[in-house]
Amino acid sequence: MQLSLNEDQTQILDFIDSLAKPFSTLPMHDVSLALESAELDEALVENGFLDVMAVEELGPVTAALVVERLARLPFAVEAAASAMVRPLIDPELPRPLCLMEEGKTRKPLRFLRPGATVVVAGPSGVKSFTATEEMIAPAQEDTLYGYPVAFLTSLPDAMTSHDVDAAEITRAWRVAIAAEAAGLLGAALASTVTYVSERKQFGRPLATFQGMRHRLAEDQVMTNTVYWMAMRAAGTGSQADAAMALQHAQEAAKRVCYDYHQFLGGMGMTLEHPLHLWTYRLKLLTAELGGRGAQGLAAAEALWS
Amino acid sequence: MQFEWTEEQDAFRHKIRDFLHANLPDGWEKFSEHGPASPALTAFAREFCVKLADAGILFPHWPRDMGGDGLGPWEQQILAEEMWIAGEPRGGQYMNVNWIGPTLDKYGTAEQKTRYLEPITKGQSLWCQGFSEPDAGSDLASLRTRAELKDGNYVINGQKIWTSYAGLADTCFLLTRTSEDKKRGITIILVPMDTPGITVRQIPSLIGEGDIHEVFFDDVTVPESARFGEEGQAWEIVAYSLRNERLGIPRFTLARAALDRAVSMLKDAGDFDGEYVRIEAARCAALCEAAGTANYAVVQRRVDGFAIGAESSSARYATVMAERAVCEFVIEFLPEALAGASPYLKMHHQRGIVAGVAAGSAEIQLNIIASEVLELPREPR
Repeated sequence: MQLSLNEDQTQILDFIDSLAKPFSTLPMHDVSLALESAELDEALVENGFLDVMAVEELGPVTAALVVERLARLPFAVEAAASAMVRPLIDPELPRPLCLMEEGKTRKPLRFLRPGATVVVAGPSGVKSFTATEEMIAPAQEDTLYGYPVAFLTSLPDAMTSHDVDAAEITRAWRVAIAAEAAGLLGAALASTVTYVSERKQFGRPLATFQGMRHRLAEDQVMTNTVYWMAMRAAGTGSQADAAMALQHAQEAAKRVCYDYHQFLGGMGMTLEHPLHLWTYRLKLLTAELGGRGAQGLAAAEALWS
Repeated sequence: MQFEWTEEQDAFRHKIRDFLHANLPDGWEKFSEHGPASPALTAFAREFCVKLADAGILFPHWPRDMGGDGLGPWEQQILAEEMWIAGEPRGGQYMNVNWIGPTLDKYGTAEQKTRYLEPITKGQSLWCQGFSEPDAGSDLASLRTRAELKDGNYVINGQKIWTSYAGLADTCFLLTRTSEDKKRGITIILVPMDTPGITVRQIPSLIGEGDIHEVFFDDVTVPESARFGEEGQAWEIVAYSLRNERLGIPRFTLARAALDRAVSMLKDAGDFDGEYVRIEAARCAALCEAAGTANYAVVQRRVDGFAIGAESSSARYATVMAERAVCEFVIEFLPEALAGASPYLKMHHQRGIVAGVAAGSAEIQLNIIASEVLELPREPR
């Protein structure tokens, strides 16, 4: 057991922080519903941050750390699938990567666009194809989710089959989403804490009222444990750990998102404050892979079958 | 980051398990239903801890200059996990090796170390901590038990409450007031429990027999040399001790073991096929593991040489959430467990109640997290 970051991990996270610095804050009044940056994405790819999992001395925990750190940015980055699932299928698959459960075509897919790789995992194995314009229906122009999303209208006749275990891909997918959720939870909490520490009512900061302090403290407990569960699941590679990590992350997301907007009062309803970028992404992640219930069933199967 | 135990740590765990297997008597599970502070378990522990001492696993985590093997925080954690999951056969003596010994070593006089450390290392002493009072629970700093220095002796008058182990303890780690300066007016005195003027009354409790007490001090007189640390130093010493104590009992391990036991009973009864029960069981398991990871993160801080800070409150609150979830799960799906069908689940339930109360209530932990982890501006007082 050694839970401190090693030198490589510290260095990588420091490097990401400095690279992402220009993208870490937003000018007020300039926040759209879904925010992406091609420049940031390019810089991450160029510097190999999405490929750390395959490097022997770095591995899946470092990849999870990268995903968690990037999820804290106001800009949405397609990192989770590329950094933590793609290496298990084919490291050369073109990005962005969209993960889809077999048969679940009605759900919006994050980062779906022409040229994206759609990976379909399920009982008949793991397959992929490159999305083209005619397969894609854009979501309603302004979805609330903080990610670019779109729908698949059809599947191609032929897909590339991959000789990998679908259960293993689903496991890695769970860990990747849990790591992303951990970063989103951390950023949403920090953003809320800053606001309620500054905003005064009744002559004192909102954060001095115990009704709010205790709920935020409970949220800290959840956020901290989501982080550690995600890292552990990345480290152990266990099915049970992965399912519990995502179940716990989805529970946490459900618990905090509504509260945070409420704590911000009127500002929590605006697009002028960036909080929604993290919370609405979290909301969409609660639907990932069938949601809490599906993770619970998977965990129960792994733990007690 | 590395989430696997090393071979040496695994071997250490197996050594403890083998010892428990060889030294816990038949019918131990039923026996452990007696609370950790019960006369039966206390008497058992007096023999059991001697055996632990002989086998070198009573305090192997203590530094070598204290007579330990210098194994460190992970081994302390493993030892505590294996003991707690087995129903804590050390009874109240777990406190000795977790925090009383190290605190004596850090703050005690040479005389106090000589007098108190040796019986601890031989598995022969039992302590109680005289902290809470009728009007000083969460607001501990308002305690009123007074110690007055007269002619080289402290004369103590007052009352303590909720004191675990007081009925059978040899020595009390007692917080007293020596001046009106709130936190800086509190002083620790080590009081032999057979000193004239001490009256102990047991309070019937949900935790089990002999667990909590009222303790009355009427002109209890001890020499000035019984003072521990300086006058007014208690708050600093207690903060140091409690941060160890909050992690001292790895409650999440017993909660997880109780959950596994409950699931096994449900499976035997054919009642573990429904989706709801399975999802709920997994949610409880996730909360136990979550508490485990939070506790481990704090242990790592100790390994890295940092003093334990407010993150122990976060780990403690995660533990409270896990205990509560498992207790509720058992009652919802296995109500018969607490009515005779499972001594082990009843034992867990009784001990689980304590998590959100002892070593600072859950709400106090939330206050600490708010102020010291989130760094929220403080409430006006």
